[in-house]
Amino acid sequence: MVTATAPAAQDNAEGKTRGTVLAGLPTNLAASLRGFAATTPGRLSVAMVGLILLSLLTGIVGIFTGQTRVNTLDDLTQHREPVSAAAQQIYRALSDADATAASAFLSGAVEPDNLRAQYNADIAQAGAALAVAATDSADTANVQDVVPSLTVLETDLPVYTGIVERAAANNAEGYPVGSAYLREADGLMQNTLLPAARNLYKTDITSLDAQQDEATSVPWVGAVLLLALLVALFLTQRFLARRTNRMLNIGLLVASIAMVLTLLWSAVGLILTGVHVSNARSSGSDLVAQLSQARTDALQARSDEILNLVARGGENYDPQFHSLANELGGKDGTGGLLGAVQSTSQDQTMSGEIDNAISAAKSWFAEHNTVQNLNNTGDYPNAVSETLSSASDGEATMVAKLDNALDKAITQGRTVFADETNSASAALFGWPIGVLVLAVLAAVGSAIGIWQRLREYR
Amino acid sequence: MSVRNRSRGWLGAGGLLLAALLTGCASNGPVNLPIVSTANAAMPVGVVQGSLAVPSAPPAPTCNNPTASLRPPASMPAAGAMPAGTTMARIAARGYLIAGVDQNTYLFGYRDPKTNAIEGFDIDMAHYVAKAIFGDPSRVQFKAITSAQRVPELKNGQVDIIARTMTISCARLADVNFSTVYYDASQRLLVPATSSVTDISQLGGKKICAASGSDSLGHIAAVPTHPIPVAVGDWSDCLVMLQQGEVAGVSTDDTILAGMVAQDPNTKIVGPSIADEPYGLAMPKQDTDFVSFVNGVLDGIRTSGQWTQSYQTWIGDRIAGGSDQPPAAQYSN
Repeated sequence: MVTATAPAAQDNAEGKTRGTVLAGLPTNLAASLRGFAATTPGRLSVAMVGLILLSLLTGIVGIFTGQTRVNTLDDLTQHREPVSAAAQQIYRALSDADATAASAFLSGAVEPDNLRAQYNADIAQAGAALAVAATDSADTANVQDVVPSLTVLETDLPVYTGIVERAAANNAEGYPVGSAYLREADGLMQNTLLPAARNLYKTDITSLDAQQDEATSVPWVGAVLLLALLVALFLTQRFLARRTNRMLNIGLLVASIAMVLTLLWSAVGLILTGVHVSNARSSGSDLVAQLSQARTDALQARSDEILNLVARGGENYDPQFHSLANELGGKDGTGGLLGAVQSTSQDQTMSGEIDNAISAAKSWFAEHNTVQNLNNTGDYPNAVSETLSSASDGEATMVAKLDNALDKAITQGRTVFADETNSASAALFGWPIGVLVLAVLAAVGSAIGIWQRLREYR
Repeated sequence: MSVRNRSRGWLGAGGLLLAALLTGCASNGPVNLPIVSTANAAMPVGVVQGSLAVPSAPPAPTCNNPTASLRPPASMPAAGAMPAGTTMARIAARGYLIAGVDQNTYLFGYRDPKTNAIEGFDIDMAHYVAKAIFGDPSRVQFKAITSAQRVPELKNGQVDIIARTMTISCARLADVNFSTVYYDASQRLLVPATSSVTDISQLGGKKICAASGSDSLGHIAAVPTHPIPVAVGDWSDCLVMLQQGEVAGVSTDDTILAGMVAQDPNTKIVGPSIADEPYGLAMPKQDTDFVSFVNGVLDGIRTSGQWTQSYQTWIGDRIAGGSDQPPAAQYSN
């Protein structure tokens, strides 16, 4: 509004004719306008004002669209991805806490220090990640999906830890009721906490996906304005060329070049952004999502494997182990999610870690079958010690190796995501303000170019 | 000027909108905080409450003298020399006895977290049977099962014998065979030590816990004041629920309750006997040779003093009025 008054005021001060016309506006608006617009100077005036307004509008829409786009991209790396990574951390930390609590319980009346420390760290990690994930409850479109999950996690986690402590206290006394408490804690974890964590993670992944789509969508309003402006500039120049027999109008030519530059800059910038965001998705966030699922599958399978021994046949956790192990690595550790990521990953660091994960999963599954045979033939003490073995080829070592390799692969995936998304943002460096500057240039060019012709009608 | 007028109009409209938004917010007062007055208490997995908890048993079949079992063979085969073709020979060929037991019933069948071994009075019985077959009491694989799994495990041939606080009844005799009575228990009530309850009838409308598939549930449901039976997977889950204040009491065999008192001194056993619970070792229906053999084993430990030794080790003086003398055997043939 304010910018639009400036040229009008200028006209008022410098051109008497148009001053009178404008002064007549309120009284006989329609007739005066029609009469004025029928003359060549009238047409030129209309074209000038139109071009100036359209240029400035394009510039404003451009800087707004561009800045929103850059903000969306920066928000992807600064907020959206960290939040989904935090949700993944919660999911992973809780799964590991459950498996570790069961390991510590199975180890006997005295909990091994390292398992106790690991369990404590898992719970602290889940709490800290929960704080990050909770920042999302204020500003997400999925707030109605996020809040119930967060509420469950925040209210039931202390309940879970309380039951685990009670299990440990009874176990230390040698009371079998400790096993009942541990099974209750595991039930709370598997049936309430982990589904909430999984739901939170899925919601966050969906939001991430949506935001990636948003960052690569075609800015239709800006595109239409830009094309309209180019067409208007072309028509005005054609009109001038026919009326004045001058082929070139420097001002309008500058305006046209500015807009063609805007078009090229936008096209190149947006295409590059699209490529980088697409890479961030296919080599980053998509793989991270699969790897995160693989990681929690591994830990939950570990819980089931140990609870099978804690329950000692009272409740059979083996089918659950097999269904999770199958999702994780197929029959022998080379299929499932691990196989899927291995066949899609093009990043050397990640592929290396996936290879490590697959070899650990292979050994683990083989060792699990050995333990199952021991247990089935009644050699319970050896089944327990094999399961908890932290020797270099022991089951606990294999699970830790698998978890560690997946952790590194996830970190690599997140790095790829951040690098690609930052490149996407960098591809738009200077674009928003550049679009505005070029649009102002187009406005000024149009004004000067047409004003030169108008002056000849004085 | 028209432009200025228009912009004032826009400002005016904007101002009105802003004012509307501000007053709109102000009239809502402070943002509501979540108010939580109750929380879902954690419960053991698979808890069933009310009438669904009671096994839908057809009217209890009657039979003649259910506690009478098959007479032992005239001469017991020596350990390690089971007659060919018998159930015992099949077990001996396998190399170990498979016994279905409990791991969560303190004193009767439980896993010692310090040693990872399963121990208790019931476990002793399985060891005596293994010793009679192999000459080595350790040749036994314990398979921990829930109360509800006892009959199916036997029918499917998953275990050779069940030593798991299993009461001899006519209904069960239709599916499995029992040894002679190796322990005479009775169903009673466990309540918190601070409770003033002295009889199960005082718990009308209150929740009472028992293991799913157990006789105790039916007995609880049959109390005239209608307590609410609550079924759980394992007996130890009942102590969890009592300690978490989710049930008013636990009603089952005094042997199991004595184990709970031993784990939690803030509980007590009250009231008269609700039902007699004669325990037998259960075996597949068709393995009658094995039933006779096991009865021979039980006869042996009754007379040798091993039974009394096990009683003193596990039960001792934990059940007031208990006797360290074995129940007498009754035979049907």
